[in-house]
Amino acid sequence: MEISDEHFNIVEELKKVVGNENVLEYNVKRNRRIFVTIKVEKLRDAVKHLSERGFEHLSTISGVDVEDGAEVIYHLTRQGAKKGMTLSLRVKVPQEGTVPSIVDILPGAVLYEREVHDLIGVVFDGHPDLSKLVLPEGWPDEIHPLQKRWGLEEIRRKLMEHGEN
Amino acid sequence: MEKTEFIIPIGPQHPALKEPENFMIKVDGEYVVDVKARIGYNHRGIEKALENRTYIQNLYLLERVCGICSCCHMTNFTNAVEEAMGLNIPERAKYLRVLNAELERIHSHLLWLGVAAHEVGFDTLFFYVWRDRELVMDLIERFSGNRVNKAIPTIGGVRRDLNPELARDILKGCNILEERTKYYKNLCANERTVILRTLDVGILKTSDAISLCAVGPTLRASGVKSDVRADDPYLVYDEIPFNVITYDGCDILSRVLVRCDEIFESINIIRYCIDHIPEGPIRTKVPVFMRVPETEVVSLWEAPRGELIHYLKSRGGNKPYRYKIRSPTLANIPSACKMLIGGYIADIPITLASIDPCFSCTDRMVIVDVNKDERYVWSHEQLRRYGLKWYQQRP
Repeated sequence: MEISDEHFNIVEELKKVVGNENVLEYNVKRNRRIFVTIKVEKLRDAVKHLSERGFEHLSTISGVDVEDGAEVIYHLTRQGAKKGMTLSLRVKVPQEGTVPSIVDILPGAVLYEREVHDLIGVVFDGHPDLSKLVLPEGWPDEIHPLQKRWGLEEIRRKLMEHGEN
Repeated sequence: MEKTEFIIPIGPQHPALKEPENFMIKVDGEYVVDVKARIGYNHRGIEKALENRTYIQNLYLLERVCGICSCCHMTNFTNAVEEAMGLNIPERAKYLRVLNAELERIHSHLLWLGVAAHEVGFDTLFFYVWRDRELVMDLIERFSGNRVNKAIPTIGGVRRDLNPELARDILKGCNILEERTKYYKNLCANERTVILRTLDVGILKTSDAISLCAVGPTLRASGVKSDVRADDPYLVYDEIPFNVITYDGCDILSRVLVRCDEIFESINIIRYCIDHIPEGPIRTKVPVFMRVPETEVVSLWEAPRGELIHYLKSRGGNKPYRYKIRSPTLANIPSACKMLIGGYIADIPITLASIDPCFSCTDRMVIVDVNKDERYVWSHEQLRRYGLKWYQQRP
């Protein structure tokens, strides 16, 4: 199926708002799926703009551990019959780096940011409460289990050292 | 902590519902002032496990994410992997996946209706609804061979076909289910007990539902017309006529009615599927040592509880580099907290239940009376009884 121009217009408009040089790459995978990578400094501007353009539903935030840091992907969804579309807005930060929180723009992000903080180790600057959400009390602070450097065996060994098993 | 307020932690264990959660509830007299959620008491590390298993092994792990909407995770996973591989599956398989999903939605909504009836102390309704739910459970068992983990979809299609005899029985079962659901819907909309406990209780305003990113029946009961099946159709939902049900009461009664009406829609979808299902193969061959090219996929699905999102990042090979799951209950927890604030302690059980949490466990709770420096430990069951008694004694 051919991809409609609307998808590219959304990206062009976003480029105008955050500046051409701040959009590092984009990709329209198929109808209703857009992937955009932007500089982390422009994240809040981009989220604000997109939420005003109908992408007001944050489906979730995915954290991905990659070789040179972490990717944080905001899956923003536009709802409504026949106009559903998901724009995945990606920022790259160093491992355990800092990303500005978007909770004040999209209050629905409150748990997702905590989850990414637990599992990947990214810090969300400005989040009201980054305490543990899914990891148990007493879990060693240095282990963010979805980082690739923590293999299953290694996590197990560390937990044993901590007196948990 | 102010001296005039109690903190009531509810959770984390509760045997009636799935996914354990803990809610720290701050109360002032009978009113809930603030709520804090803490989840993860049964965090199984499935996302990490998925990275360490092949796609075929993951198929079976994914089905065990949830015991109620098991096919949602599994089918959404197969959709994601097939999209990543650029694999087209036969039309008949798509129809069978939809059929499986809608049977599951009916059983899930009936299960919830029973739980909701139990939470408001209407156990007669609970027993009747669960008796009738066995009708759809039997159909699921005959179709898939299982009641819970149905293992119908597989990468490339589905594993079982529908025969004419079973199709006839599914239609027959749907007729009975439709009659019974009509009766229950009418009962819920008119029965005094249900109305007293659900009308204008657990309010979630439309603006809050949108800003807190609520999903599914919780969102639609606040008047927002959004359903992944209509917004972003997958499989063959763009061919099937159905309505997106909304109510604008923003309360628990609306959530009850949305789910009742969705059962009728599911029944109609099943009838359409059986009437229009094309002949042909039910799966395409996929190599045993399958590999997925380097790509990323966002796969959305309308589970009984709402939008389910899976994100797959592949770097080639036979294992995913990253597989992210966000189940609908997590999306609805901020909304549930919002609903509780301003309500009575006695309404906590039904309000929490109203998002249909897949929340396995809240069976223990502690009430801290800051004034008297006392600490009570209550089970969820005791809280439920407290709620029932409180309503009985109310003038």
